[in-house]
Amino acid sequence: MPPSGTRTVATDREERRLGFRLTLPTQVLILFIAVFPLLMQLYISLTDWSPLEGTGWWRAYELWNGFANYTDLLGDSRLWGALWRTFVVMLVCVPAEFLLGLGLAVLFMDDFPGKRVFYSILLMPMMVVPAVAGYMFFMLFQSGGPVNGILSGLTGLDVTIAWLSDPTLALVAVMIADIWQWTPLMFLILLAGLVGVPEDQLKAATLLGASWGQRFVTIMLPRIRTVLIIALAIRVIESFKIFDTLYIMTGGGPGVATETISVYIYKVTTQDLIWGYVAAIALVILIALSVLTVLAMKRMAAAGGRA
Amino acid sequence: MTTIRLENLVKSFGSFTALKTMDLEIGNGEFVALLGPSGCGKSTTMNMIAGMEAPTSGRILFDGRDMAGVPMGKRGVGFVFQNYAIFTHMTVRQNLAYGPKARGWPKAKVDAAVAKIADFLQLTPMLDQKSAKLSVNILQRLAIGRSAIVEPAIFLLDEPLSNVDAAFRAVMRTELKHLQREFRQTMVYVTHDQLEAMTMADRIAVMDHGVLQQVGTPIEVYNDPVNLFVARFIGAPGMNLVEGTLAETDRGLAVDLGAFGLSPPLPAALAGAARTAGAKEVVYGFRPEEVTLRTEGPGLRAAVGFVERIGARTIVHFGAADRALKIVAEPSTAVSVGETLSIEPVAASVRLFDKASGRAIKGAA
Repeated sequence: MPPSGTRTVATDREERRLGFRLTLPTQVLILFIAVFPLLMQLYISLTDWSPLEGTGWWRAYELWNGFANYTDLLGDSRLWGALWRTFVVMLVCVPAEFLLGLGLAVLFMDDFPGKRVFYSILLMPMMVVPAVAGYMFFMLFQSGGPVNGILSGLTGLDVTIAWLSDPTLALVAVMIADIWQWTPLMFLILLAGLVGVPEDQLKAATLLGASWGQRFVTIMLPRIRTVLIIALAIRVIESFKIFDTLYIMTGGGPGVATETISVYIYKVTTQDLIWGYVAAIALVILIALSVLTVLAMKRMAAAGGRA
Repeated sequence: MTTIRLENLVKSFGSFTALKTMDLEIGNGEFVALLGPSGCGKSTTMNMIAGMEAPTSGRILFDGRDMAGVPMGKRGVGFVFQNYAIFTHMTVRQNLAYGPKARGWPKAKVDAAVAKIADFLQLTPMLDQKSAKLSVNILQRLAIGRSAIVEPAIFLLDEPLSNVDAAFRAVMRTELKHLQREFRQTMVYVTHDQLEAMTMADRIAVMDHGVLQQVGTPIEVYNDPVNLFVARFIGAPGMNLVEGTLAETDRGLAVDLGAFGLSPPLPAALAGAARTAGAKEVVYGFRPEEVTLRTEGPGLRAAVGFVERIGARTIVHFGAADRALKIVAEPSTAVSVGETLSIEPVAASVRLFDKASGRAIKGAA
């Protein structure tokens, strides 16, 4: 019998080989759906290639322009404008959704009559297809639409605000739609976290004389830290990609007033057809978002160690 | 440092009555164990004392003051949870300081109190450790310290040892009893483990099916169970209980135990009580520890079923199923399976119960 040490090493190698063989189909799949398009994107981003050229994308090297696309995007004011609007949407919508979701989740920790009904109603916006939600809000914000109708009723004046044609109000309307649709997700995740807070710890804190506010800050918030970061990370990433609802409501207009990064990329892809440039923008954004995600994950891992 | 009085305490959950009229008085600095099988209402009683649940009817008085409507944070009750409910995301120090900070004590006072209690409970070396990874006996001390720091009037402990492995329980029991003596706190301890109740409590309140069965010192409850439930529940192994019929013999009143034969004559006082009570069908009880075992002689005749040798003592099992007897004997006792022996209970240890009511028939002491 060989010494056990050698045997273990041999078995380890054997096991690793088996593992490799078992995961091979998945690895090939990942190669095709993730790695290959990424490399293709990188390749095209270094050229002036466009589908109008009539040549296949693999011959894009004939239009090689080095890093010109990347230097171009630094001076693209429309791109920076779109990025800025995307950040505005993120900075307004995510905190709003978070605070509303947290408040609702706290309310739902206790029992009250009709809780199940309210729960179902609250989750409904999340189930609506974003494009459909877009049409709903498109209708709601028409100058003769229900929003103005309600405002007229409340103020007693004849309100005829042209929401979707005013550059500022259009962005506000788009953000309201986003908050309406995604607060439920925040609510759901945070409620799951709050329900998981150990009941006896809350009771122990109460018996020690802690008020509700003290319990919230010292027990509940630290306990749902991880969940909280996950919820925020999901919404930050998602709000960066805001598209369907917005595109149907305003199409990015009036002018470029509601043109976010997704809308801009969509337009450049389908209208201007400069795919080399599009590839460069998309790659930069992908890297930026990845860095953001990794940072969030690191914070989460750290929080996980503490909680 | 408070007396607790429970007056006609009742708790129902819908149609289910968890506690049926409980009356109990717990003295200042006393350690009382609420003992009973699960579902007997002991935890419900404790939760009502703590204010986590409101009684359906009846009153809870602390030092004569009615606690109805006093929220749990204001009752001055220290509560040690079954799993200790330590705030695992905080350090030991933060756990200890939680109560004082919640009450808004000035920082200097909080620090002084934490230092004092940590020193007393030997928690000073781990004050700045995260409490998530502490061993269970430190968690117990921390749980007690966290409640004790705000000087509660009474301490409630909800089966704190049930998650501890058996080997360590003895250590924890000793430590808990020691702490109780040091604090001289009124303590109410809920448990289903009679060993915990017997070793630690000044008095035991035995409960079953929402009814308080007996209150007394561990020895009282052990020696003079008021009914069959208490007799069966207290003691390991429990009391031997054999159904029989009273029979007059030429040597006095005895019990006809069927297959086991006739019991030795009852002691005069017990015989008198049995005659007075007028019962015919009785249950004859004696502790497995208090018997004389012989090959021949007076007593119950039974065949040895099997023998458990557990070191310090030997448990001899007689008979089968519903008419089984257990005898605790010396470790060196030589008996063989199948052998028929005479079991003579020590006269003073014999107890009689009325078969119909389950109540003890008591002779004048």
